[in-house]
Amino acid sequence: MATLKDVAARRPIAATIRLIVPAGGARPAPPVGPALGQYRLNLMAFCKDFNARTQKYSPDTPMAVTITAYKDNTFEFIVKSPSVSWFLKKAAGLELGSERPGHVVASSLTLRHVYEIAKIKQTDVSCKHLSIEAICKSIIGTARSMGIEIVKDL
Amino acid sequence: MFTGLGHHLRFLRRIFALEIPSRSVPLPPFPVPSNPFSVTLTEAAVGSLLRPPSFYLHRMRRRIPTERIQFCTLTAQPEHSDASPYLSVRIRCLKRDADMLSDALLCFGANSASMDELSDSHDLDEIWITCIFADHQDVHTCISQAVGSFGLNYVPKYEISAGKICDWTTNVQESFHPIEVVTGLWIVPKWREPPDLQATNIILDPGMAFGTGEHPTTKLCLMLLHRLLHGGELLLDYGTGSGILGIAAVKMGASSSVGIDIEPQAVISARENVALNGISSSKMSVYLVPNATGTSNADEETENPEKRTLLGFQPDCSKGKFDFIIANILLNPLIELAVDIVSYGRPGSNIGLSGILSEQVQQIKEIYSQYLENISVSDMEGWACIHGTKKEKLDM
Repeated sequence: MATLKDVAARRPIAATIRLIVPAGGARPAPPVGPALGQYRLNLMAFCKDFNARTQKYSPDTPMAVTITAYKDNTFEFIVKSPSVSWFLKKAAGLELGSERPGHVVASSLTLRHVYEIAKIKQTDVSCKHLSIEAICKSIIGTARSMGIEIVKDL
Repeated sequence: MFTGLGHHLRFLRRIFALEIPSRSVPLPPFPVPSNPFSVTLTEAAVGSLLRPPSFYLHRMRRRIPTERIQFCTLTAQPEHSDASPYLSVRIRCLKRDADMLSDALLCFGANSASMDELSDSHDLDEIWITCIFADHQDVHTCISQAVGSFGLNYVPKYEISAGKICDWTTNVQESFHPIEVVTGLWIVPKWREPPDLQATNIILDPGMAFGTGEHPTTKLCLMLLHRLLHGGELLLDYGTGSGILGIAAVKMGASSSVGIDIEPQAVISARENVALNGISSSKMSVYLVPNATGTSNADEETENPEKRTLLGFQPDCSKGKFDFIIANILLNPLIELAVDIVSYGRPGSNIGLSGILSEQVQQIKEIYSQYLENISVSDMEGWACIHGTKKEKLDM
């Protein structure tokens, strides 16, 4: 994987590829294979790199990856943690959110859960500049829209 | 009634110039009238038609994915165990909607969505998105759901083509070149000539297995072997991939190597590479072992006759025998299998671990410090390799 140099030396971009890959499970087979292969990117390097970087997640967590492929066949990628709604559903043990959020409560979670999710989210590039408090508030908002109640203690 | 609908469709096709997929592609069996793609006489839909001149639409329709056909050499490629065909869909939409549409498509079932950067875009402000779907998926529904999810006010045109395995495997193979890892040691892909015939050349055909020699972790491991092997050792390549480390060890003077891996494809590739380098199977043997962590495919392995030929490793006879163990895998397996990996070495044997990022070194050190002493770390480009010697007195 190419190291990130300063933005001024930006190389010509060939394509932007978005993928969903299970954590630690990138293999040179579809979906990774065809998507990267058509731009002649080094599949093995990506798989190894991606797998190593996602070791801290439990296997088969769906990770969203955005790969920027440059014209000289090098690439860079950003791995995003799964969506907040996915975390909430997993923590609450639900398949789907509530059918009538605001009226029907699907499940409840404690502030401890919210804090743990916020800690993982903070490692995400898009949330780095936010305080833990701000991330927690946004998670609580998402939970409310899914019909998951947040309580102090269960 | 059916002919009436068919006629209706043909009429629609002319008016809206929609790429209504032809029957050769898997589709819902009946073109249902409630299909959101077939009708929506909105202002925007008609508008988007009138804006681009009609010759555009002809040009777009005739645009066959020629790039794919050119790469597909259709040589007799061995059928890999997970060689499944896939569907490749090219969707055309406005640039400003492209990001949202790609994300929506991923949510609704696409495996990937790629966008080409068109520096000189003659297509005005429109862009192509290439999506890959699994073979059996309903592309129609996925696209309509994605479009509906964020209220796109026009109907993007798309065309579906079937993708074949050879399309992308040949591309990737073309990018391998001979590499000199340390002075006098070259890794050469099977289809190229070694630049220096005097040096130690390892010839490789990695196929779908890991280990081409380009990755920093492979280089770190090879440098470790080069530094520490003096000749006559018995080496275990734990997680052999393409077999590169085991083969390198034999070429550098080890008396013999054993390679083990949990992926059948890796074992097949490794055995081919052993033969390619003129090493007999008595000098290097490669075996398939069951996945010690998590899912066990025990039933699957014994039922599949091909896989049975790959088995044969006798773990109990091999414990405590090896002089050198090298494991280039990943953080989690290294941690979970620490006891297993170390058990194969004799007291005082060299153990090398890699496939870890520099930031993961501390975790490995914590676990392995109970089994190894004289632990040293080497790193390259953010990747690290740990080396230690097995403690003399251990209750294992």
